[in-house]
Amino acid sequence: MELNDTFYMKAEFIETASGNKVSKKSVLCGSQNIVLNGKSIICNDCIVRGDLANVRIGRYCVIGSRTVIRPPFKKFSKGVAFFPLHIGDHVFIDEDCIINAAQIGSYVHIGKNCVIGRRCVLKECCQIADNVYLPPETVVPPFTVITGNPGKPTGELPECTQDLMIDATKGFYQHFVPVQEVK
Amino acid sequence: MASLLQFEKVLMKCSCDIKSPIINLYFCKHCLKLRCGRCVSHEVDSYSCPNCLENMPSAEAKLKKNRCANCLDCPSCNHSLTTRATSVALTDSQSPDKKMTKKVYYLACGLCRWTSRDIGLGDKETASGGWEEHDNPHFERLNELLEFYHQLAIKEKNEREQKKFNKRRTYLRLQEKYFSPGGLATRRKASFLNALSSMAPKTDEPEITPVKLIEPKEEVDPLPSKYYTQPLVLEKVTTLAQRLNRPEFASSQVEGLYPRHKHLVIKRSQRCRECEHNLSKPEYNPSSIKFKIQLVALHHIPDVRIYLVPKLYQAKESIVTILLSNPSQEKMETELEAINEPPSTGLLTVPEGLLVLAAKDITAEFDEKTADTSEFKDNPEKKSSETSQGHIQFRSGHKLGVLFKVTPQTSDSDVVVCFKLKYKYHNTSPSLRTPVEDEEKPDAVWLEHEVEINLGATSP
Repeated sequence: MELNDTFYMKAEFIETASGNKVSKKSVLCGSQNIVLNGKSIICNDCIVRGDLANVRIGRYCVIGSRTVIRPPFKKFSKGVAFFPLHIGDHVFIDEDCIINAAQIGSYVHIGKNCVIGRRCVLKECCQIADNVYLPPETVVPPFTVITGNPGKPTGELPECTQDLMIDATKGFYQHFVPVQEVK
Repeated sequence: MASLLQFEKVLMKCSCDIKSPIINLYFCKHCLKLRCGRCVSHEVDSYSCPNCLENMPSAEAKLKKNRCANCLDCPSCNHSLTTRATSVALTDSQSPDKKMTKKVYYLACGLCRWTSRDIGLGDKETASGGWEEHDNPHFERLNELLEFYHQLAIKEKNEREQKKFNKRRTYLRLQEKYFSPGGLATRRKASFLNALSSMAPKTDEPEITPVKLIEPKEEVDPLPSKYYTQPLVLEKVTTLAQRLNRPEFASSQVEGLYPRHKHLVIKRSQRCRECEHNLSKPEYNPSSIKFKIQLVALHHIPDVRIYLVPKLYQAKESIVTILLSNPSQEKMETELEAINEPPSTGLLTVPEGLLVLAAKDITAEFDEKTADTSEFKDNPEKKSSETSQGHIQFRSGHKLGVLFKVTPQTSDSDVVVCFKLKYKYHNTSPSLRTPVEDEEKPDAVWLEHEVEINLGATSP
């Protein structure tokens, strides 16, 4: 199935020179610490906490509505420290998620309504189904499907996951088209 | 991502007659046939731990019973345990006023908050642990039984071989009885054969050391009185899942739950059963997503996707747009043929004649201007009888939107249409074509696969 067009109000989004589309209704805290590598989409009501630590998001990423991206912290004897959060290329994060991972590899799909616990490491080509709670410090190996609460590996992805993710995220970007506001 | 692109709606028939989405299929370049997970042989390539992602040789994996040496699972909830550091105050025996702190490590679960301190495991001074292993209490008995079964197996094998020999002899006897003339000769021959069989090599009966039998008892020990006198604390009782996790201990109290080493995961390679060539072989590195050999169908055969489905009404013709895309870097000629038989639940008319798919241009995405497709004269206005013009909705790069006419013949189930996808496959890897084969085998062959598309339910 080819993806359908998703429309957005041109006035509600900022498009950068490298092709990033960021909703004006999203909250980017500490924007000097947030790097979007291009052609990424951040939908409305997202929160990206760059004020806590660096957040780096690769190319062709989609961050769905109302998702919170917050760098993880670790408690030490002398207080807490925040760790930078890296997200690879072609990552699709659906709506209403809370992401506290330390690292998200490329070609990862995170379903709706997920909570990714503190300092989780999501390797490349893995999938988190809808409504999953991933406990803190979990490692998700490549080609794994995680479902349930708490998230457990329940399946595997086909060998061509990389191509599918590239196809899907590029398709989403191409079908994310502006409409002029009707006055 | 299969869920987002809904690949399960378009199924292709594998060479084993089972229909699967294209993403689960392999294409054997040597047999030129589709293969699916059910008709290839799977081989274990490498073992690795899913938590620390470290490779383990197969001999070592077998020795460690397919468990990681370093990573541990929570005995309570099965989530991976993490090592936590803390400092404890030590009092020096020589100078009690001086306070010293020492760094110690213990295990903790991030999900259920279980810690190794809960069961009285002592803290360790090194982060890597060295957590004591709990041996199976029935270790000796199990070994004894294993040894016994092993001996039995050898005995049975010997007996089977003996039987095979006997069978052959009876067959010879029958043959003589019915096919050779003269009863006397038969009898003599039979006695000769009997003598032969008595000379057959005597297999040494292996000595079977008997194991101690456990006698069933009528009388059981009475219930310990603590069950009557002590109050039951449900939080201290383990669940069935926790007990079955470690059947050798099956502790009924939470204090008896010990962390268990993490199970390893494997990487598999797939091999075609007919020509025994590899269809997919992953790299050894556990965190790598690259493949040494990857013959997935998506890279070789044209992909069929649903592009646009209007509202479907029973017994009313609708036009459905289907997207064909060419994965190869050469032009691909395709032809379609409708199959209006069950399981299809709609009458399908497909475009006739050749449909040419443009080559996939991998540089196109970096190019601002779209690829020139004017060479394919599929302008819908100019209809001609030979070509399929008029059936083509659009063309962009290596993709082609084709119009299908579908008349649903069902109102209660999903509309399913089937067709044959024929295409000219160009064998692009020169290593597969030896000069001798070149003459017999042309480098382009017509292949066909059956495709089944689920277009969804009809509107009332």
